[in-house]
Amino acid sequence: MRSLFADSSPAVHIAPGGVFHLGGLTITNSIFYGWICSVVLIITFIWVARKITVKPKGGFIQFVEVGADFITNLVVNAFDDKKKGRKYVPYFVTLFFFILFNNWLGLVPGVGEGVHVGSLPLLRPFTGDLNATLAIGLITMLVVYGSSIRESGSIRNYLRHFFVGNPLNPLYLIIGLLEMLTDLTRVFSLSLRLFLNIAIGEIVIAVFSYLGHVLAPATALPFTLLELFVGALQAYIFCVLSVNYLAIAVNHAHHDLTEEDVPETIGMEMETNG
Amino acid sequence: MVSLIASTVDTAIIGKGLMIGGGFIGPGIGIGLIGGNYLAAVGRNPEAAKFLGQALVFVAIAELFGLLAFASIFIVK
Repeated sequence: MRSLFADSSPAVHIAPGGVFHLGGLTITNSIFYGWICSVVLIITFIWVARKITVKPKGGFIQFVEVGADFITNLVVNAFDDKKKGRKYVPYFVTLFFFILFNNWLGLVPGVGEGVHVGSLPLLRPFTGDLNATLAIGLITMLVVYGSSIRESGSIRNYLRHFFVGNPLNPLYLIIGLLEMLTDLTRVFSLSLRLFLNIAIGEIVIAVFSYLGHVLAPATALPFTLLELFVGALQAYIFCVLSVNYLAIAVNHAHHDLTEEDVPETIGMEMETNG
Repeated sequence: MVSLIASTVDTAIIGKGLMIGGGFIGPGIGIGLIGGNYLAAVGRNPEAAKFLGQALVFVAIAELFGLLAFASIFIVK
């Protein structure tokens, strides 16, 4: 007799699986769906760019316009120098829509635990794969590091920002090294946050559609709606955090701290002693 | 006695339950504090309602630690 409650656990895949081979390379289900999403995204945005008018007509085009405007304001307002901020707008608008569309297209029925090849799902949301989000996080932080090095002039000036005072002072040295470590962990915190939110959303939907049995659409619907909200929120948060990391580094690049700017702390005494 | 308990009780299930329960306490308290303080700020000064986006950023930061606890249950066998 079939029990009313779960007799075996539902299929949960947290790691991507290779579904087919292409010229010696294994193509995993998440990168396969990522390609599909990228093509859809490119076609959609070329269409939107052609159709866009000065006077908004509403519909999908206006949704894209509102999103782009929102991120533009977010990026420009984060910088002290508004002209400097405008340079970085295209990257962050692209990032926002790429993450948003990958999150939302991952909720389409059939993606995730829908269609199977063997025991593996054929399609998985691209952002529900740690490799994908790690790549996004790494590229974003490389943009941040590259821009801050360029804005501060040289690598020496850039590294100088991590230290409040003279790096030879042991206290400032440790604080500076900790700051550098914090900067490196941002790659992982950005990518893990996005990956875990999307992957766990998939698991929650899979679990509740499994528990629903025949009523699976009804039990999974509230969580799918929740995931729509979470997907948009995560795209926004990824943008906000990376913009702030960039803005802190770039805004900081202009006033180089000299020895006179350092407040009177033990550092001054120690330098005179040693 | 210990081996008898270990052979009859699936300790991995208990471990997973403790991880989920313990791991979600912190983010639950944190998100509650953020939401409560946001509503208190809006109640005192309705102009502050526009800072919902900033509040949600902190919700996401607090939420990450709960999700890390959730992800860790997959390494318990």
